[in-house]
Amino acid sequence: MLTSINPTMKAFAVLIPALLLAFTFDPLTPFIYLVFTVAVTFFFSKVAFKRWILIFSPFLLLAVSFAWMTMLHPSDAFSGGDVLISVWSFQVTTESFWAGISLGLRSLSFAALSLLFILTTDSTKFMLSLMQQCKLPPKLTFGILAGYRFLPTFRYELQVLRQAHRIRGVGRAKGVKERLHQFRRYAIPLLANAIRKAERVALAMESKGFTGETDRTHYHEMTIDKRDWIFVSVFFVMFFVSVFLSYQLGFLNIFGKDF
Amino acid sequence: MSIKHHRPLLSVENFSFGYDPDKEPLLKDLTLTIHQQETILFIGPSGSGKSSFSLCLNGLYPEAVEGWAKGEMIYNGRSLSHFKKGEINKEIGVVFQDPESQFCMVTVENELAFTLENIKTPREEMAEKIDAILSAVGLAEEKHRPIHELSGGNKQKVALASVLLLNPKLLILDEPTANLDPASRFEFIQLIHSLKQERDFALFIIEHQLDDWLPMVDRVIAMNRHGNILLEGKPEDVFYNQVEKLKKEGIHLPRIVETVLEAHEGKVLETNRPLSEGDLVPWINSNDHLMNPITREIQACDLWANEKSEVLSIKNVSFSRGKKSILKEINLSLYSGELVAIVGKNGAGKSTLLQLISGILSPKTGSRLLLNKKYEAWSEHDMRKVMGYVFQNPEHQFITDTVYDEIAFGMKLNGVSQDKIEQNVNQLLERFHLTSHKWSNPFALSGGQKRRLSVATMLEDTPSVLLFDEPTFGQDAQTTKELMQMIQTLQRQGTAIVFVTHDMDLVDTYCEKVYVVNGGEVSFNGKPDELWQKPEILHEAKLRLPFRVRINQLLENLHQNKKKQGVVRAHANIH
Repeated sequence: MLTSINPTMKAFAVLIPALLLAFTFDPLTPFIYLVFTVAVTFFFSKVAFKRWILIFSPFLLLAVSFAWMTMLHPSDAFSGGDVLISVWSFQVTTESFWAGISLGLRSLSFAALSLLFILTTDSTKFMLSLMQQCKLPPKLTFGILAGYRFLPTFRYELQVLRQAHRIRGVGRAKGVKERLHQFRRYAIPLLANAIRKAERVALAMESKGFTGETDRTHYHEMTIDKRDWIFVSVFFVMFFVSVFLSYQLGFLNIFGKDF
Repeated sequence: MSIKHHRPLLSVENFSFGYDPDKEPLLKDLTLTIHQQETILFIGPSGSGKSSFSLCLNGLYPEAVEGWAKGEMIYNGRSLSHFKKGEINKEIGVVFQDPESQFCMVTVENELAFTLENIKTPREEMAEKIDAILSAVGLAEEKHRPIHELSGGNKQKVALASVLLLNPKLLILDEPTANLDPASRFEFIQLIHSLKQERDFALFIIEHQLDDWLPMVDRVIAMNRHGNILLEGKPEDVFYNQVEKLKKEGIHLPRIVETVLEAHEGKVLETNRPLSEGDLVPWINSNDHLMNPITREIQACDLWANEKSEVLSIKNVSFSRGKKSILKEINLSLYSGELVAIVGKNGAGKSTLLQLISGILSPKTGSRLLLNKKYEAWSEHDMRKVMGYVFQNPEHQFITDTVYDEIAFGMKLNGVSQDKIEQNVNQLLERFHLTSHKWSNPFALSGGQKRRLSVATMLEDTPSVLLFDEPTFGQDAQTTKELMQMIQTLQRQGTAIVFVTHDMDLVDTYCEKVYVVNGGEVSFNGKPDELWQKPEILHEAKLRLPFRVRINQLLENLHQNKKKQGVVRAHANIH
C-alpha cells in the first residue's frame, strides 16, 4: 500500500521523474507517465475517486489553458508545420498544437504525482522521516509540526476578525489604497497573536524536556526496507520505459530536439 | 498535614528577575522554599510576575527571554545553573494556562510520545507508558484523536499527562483552569487531587480562583504588586488573619472565607476556620443566629413590567453548516432593559446562536424581528447602530491606532460633527476610565482596559441591544466586576443585553432570564432560580450550580438529616 511506503522515499520517487519529465517536449511520454501514476494511485491506495477528481479538476482546467496559450503563442521552435485552425490573427500549426498538448499533459502529470504523494502521506510521518532519514534537525522538524497545527486556528481567527470588523461598520475595501490599509488592520492582530502563541508553544515544548538535540529515541521508527527501494525503482524505470516507448513510436522530443 | 519534616526540594534565595536592566525588576529579592510533597498556592494581583516566576523555577527564564536574573535557586542541594539543558525539566514540570498553545503534535498519542522521546525513553517501553498515563488521567479512549478536536478540559488533561510522563518531583500549575468551563475546572482539580495522592509530587499552584483548590493546600505564598513576597503561611492564617493586606493588593479572598467573614465581621475563632464547602456548611449551621441562607450580593436589577417592550424576537430559527445541523427550531425573545444569559457546554451552539441574533449569520429557516422590523429589511449600517456586539477577544475589534480614534471611528462613519465627536469621545473615555490612555495604541493596553475599550466602541449611541460573547473569559475577578457594573448601568438605560457565559455565579447574581442550549436546542428558558431546581438539565449541559445555591442545598440537607436523627432519637427515648 502507498500509505506504508517511507515518505522520504516516496517524495524522491515522485520528485525525480517529475523533474525529468520537464524536459520531454513530446505528448506521448508524459501521457504514458500520467496513465501510470493514476493507475498506481487507484490500485495501491484507498483514495476515493470522487475525492481525487475533486482536487484534480482545477488542475485539468489549468492544464487546458496552458495548452491553449502555448498553441496560440508558440515559441519560434514550434511554429512550423501546417496550419490547423486560425482564430482571428492567430494560427495554430500542427507543431504548436502538439507542443501545447505536451505542456498540458506534463502539467497533469505533475498534478497527478503531487496528489499521489499528498493523498497517501501523513504529514507528521513525512516530517519524522525527513528527520530520521535526511537528518533534518529536530528543532526544525518539531517547529514545522507545531506551526502546522496552527494553520486551522489562523483561518478561524481571520474569519472572526472579518466579522468583528463588519460589526464595527467597516465595509468591504475598495481600491488599492483601502485594501492595503485593510491588510494592515488584519495583519496586526493576527501577527500579535501568532507571536504570542509561538512563544508559548516553544516554552511548553522546552518544559517537556525538548532541547533540540539530535540524540533522541523515536516512537515511530521510520525505516527504509526493500519495498521502498522497489517502489522508487519502479517509478524511475517507468520513466525510461515511457521515453523508450515514445522513441520507438517516433514521438520522442527532448528539450526541443527530435530523436 | 505537617510538611516540616520533609526535606526541602527547591529553595530560592534572594532571587530577582527583570526584562529590562534599566527598569525596576519584576521580581524582587524573593526567598522561599518548596518542600517535598508540599502543596503551595501562589497568589498575587495580575501582572505581578507570577507566571514569569514559574518559568524561572524550571530554568527556562531568563534564558528564553532577553532578561536578567540575580540570586540563587537550589534544587536538591544543587544550583539550578549547574544543570544541563533539559535536565531540570525532567524534575520540574509545568502545565500552562492556554489549552490551545501547549502542543506541537497533531494526535494525543504522538504528543505524549514527543515527551518520551525527549527524555530518550527506549522505544519498547513507550506504548506501555502512554497507555498507563492515559488511563491515569481518564483519556484512554482519546488516544488516537487529534488534539484540536478535544474539549478545553481534555486538552489540559493531555498537557498534564505529557508532563507527568517526565515523572517530575515538582509540578507547577500556571492557572491551568482559567480558560475552562466550571464543570471541567472542577473535574481537573479533582484529578490533580487524586493524582497527587498516588504520585507524591510537590505542587506549586498559581491561581486566581481559589475555592476549589483550598482543601489540598498546605501553604499560601502571596506576592504584592511590586514583585515582593507579601506574606506566607498556612491557608487559614493567611486568609482569615491578613484580610486587610490581601485586599489592599487587590487579591480576592476565597468565597468560603468571604462568607464566614461577612457573618462574623472579621472575628473568627482560631479553632474553627472553614476552608472547604464541606466545612463551611456545619459552620454556618452552628452560627445559625448570625446568618441563614446566603443571599445574593447584588440583586438583579428589575425594571417595572409595564415599561418593558419587545425589542427582538426570533421564531423557529434553524441553522446548519453543510449537512451538519447546528441549531434547531430556536425561539427567543428579548425585552428592553433585560439581562439574558445563554449557557451550555462547549460546542452546543451558543456562539452560533449569538451570531444569528447579531445578523452576521443568516438562518436556514425561521424569522427574526428587530424593533418590529424584519432583519432582511434593515440596512447593515442602521442595524449596527442599534445593535452592538462585543467579541470574546477585544483585540479582534480594534481598527485604528489610538484609543481616541477607536471610539470616534463609528461616529465619523455616521457623519457626526467634529465638536460633537470630541465631546462624546471624552465622555466615554471618562466613563470607562481610559482618559489617561487617550493616545495609546489599543494593543498596548492591559487586558481589563482592552475589554473596557471594546465595550466603549459599541456605545456611540445607546444601543437597543448589546451582545457579549463570553465577556469574562480569562479575566480576573476585578475586571469581571467592573464589566458587570458597566453592563448594569446600560441595562438601567434600557438596553437589552444578551451574553454567552460559562460562569453560573454571574448568571445567579445578575440575570433575570437564562437560556440553556444543549445539542442545538433550547432545553430550558426561564428564571435562574428555576434552573437551579432542575438537576437533569444542569447535568446534561455540563453546568455547575453557583456557589450560593450549592451551600444552601448542603445546608438544607444537613437540616433534614438532623430532623431525621431527631425523630429517631425521640423514638429511642419512648422505647
